[in-house]
Amino acid sequence: MACAFSGSSQCLRQTNLVTASLRATRPSPYAYTPQFHSSSTAAVGKASDLVITPRTRPGHPQLSCCTRCPSAISRSRTQSFSSSFPRRSKTYQTVEQAKARNKLGPFSWPAGILFLLAGVGMTFYFRSEKERMQRKRIAEMTKGIGKPKVGGEFELVDQDGRRFTSEDMTGKYALIYFGFTHCPDICPEELDKMAGMIDRVKQRAGNVLRPIVISCDPARDTPAVMKKYLDEFHPDMIGLTGTWDQIKATCKAYRVYFSTPPDVKPGQDYLVDHSIYFYLMDPDGDFVEAIGRQFSADEAAKLICDHVGDWKGKLDKN
Amino acid sequence: MGWLPFSGGSSNQGPRPSSDGAFEAPGRDQRAHCWEARDEYFRCLDRHDIIDSIQDGKKAAATCSKETLAFEQNCATSWVKYFKQRRVADAKKAATLRQLEAEGAGQIPAAEMERNKRASVA
Repeated sequence: MACAFSGSSQCLRQTNLVTASLRATRPSPYAYTPQFHSSSTAAVGKASDLVITPRTRPGHPQLSCCTRCPSAISRSRTQSFSSSFPRRSKTYQTVEQAKARNKLGPFSWPAGILFLLAGVGMTFYFRSEKERMQRKRIAEMTKGIGKPKVGGEFELVDQDGRRFTSEDMTGKYALIYFGFTHCPDICPEELDKMAGMIDRVKQRAGNVLRPIVISCDPARDTPAVMKKYLDEFHPDMIGLTGTWDQIKATCKAYRVYFSTPPDVKPGQDYLVDHSIYFYLMDPDGDFVEAIGRQFSADEAAKLICDHVGDWKGKLDKN
Repeated sequence: MGWLPFSGGSSNQGPRPSSDGAFEAPGRDQRAHCWEARDEYFRCLDRHDIIDSIQDGKKAAATCSKETLAFEQNCATSWVKYFKQRRVADAKKAATLRQLEAEGAGQIPAAEMERNKRASVA
């Protein structure tokens, strides 16, 4: 029993001794910190000596930090130059290089050029995308329920006397103009412009456009008169005419105003008032956009080609 | 008959009947002759400060007799009337524009108007 007592007291004393000796070799944990920085080898040596201590005193922040990974400390010492990019192990040959690097910071010529190029590219992309969305909105304004309907079914006769209906119009884009052959000045000008549009669109987008001229003056514009008249403008043009009622119905569908009286005598001289828009219809036969007189042939052709480029469905190019 | 004017003058071809009975429309050459005669006639009117040649018909016919005859011979009657009316409308338009400009209005190019239209749609 006494042995047990003495033994236990001895044990106690021994532990005290151990702690005392530990304190002797390591007067204060803070005393090590300057040593670590003054010499990395010394720090590594000391730290490895003290590997056991975190187990006995795990709560001490200073020690656990130092002993966690002594090799990391020595590594971080050598890398203190490139503090902003810790992962980069670039070393500089000369002081000038380092100075130049510091002067520009993280920026360099390639980075600047890349930045500018990306900016210019994004600007162009967003602009074209915005224009495309606007065209899409215009094109889709007339599709769907509750939208104004321009165009529709018609049944007329072409310049060779063949039947031509709205069904024959689909498959390609159609450019429709309403006019009459005895038109003093505006129609011939517009038809010359239409010929320019046909050639330009054909050149840029292929054979995707069906140009149609519908007469608002059925009494005088027979198929033969239309044929003779349109031959002077463009061979691709399809000239449509019909009875007064057929023309009236077609003009109504296209919201075209026309003033031809229903009962004119042969050879009578008169003029017809009518709307002077080009109607662009998509391959489904739906109205896309009205092209007014303010457009030049070039501008109108560009507009048509842009719409053609937007078209996702089937398109007859033959 | 309205088409008689075509039978005289430099074009010297009346409205020929087409293969299916109707009369052919004036062709490119005939239109060119008509426009030429019209421009000549309007230049004469400009020299004598006549804008409305329908209202001042007698004065116009007296001062520009040669041009009036050529104009009426080369263009259909309906065209003559139309061009005379258009001249008056154009003069009024020009006067309005001048007045607006004097009041400090600026002109908006067609392309810009189109852009504005599209922007308002978007």
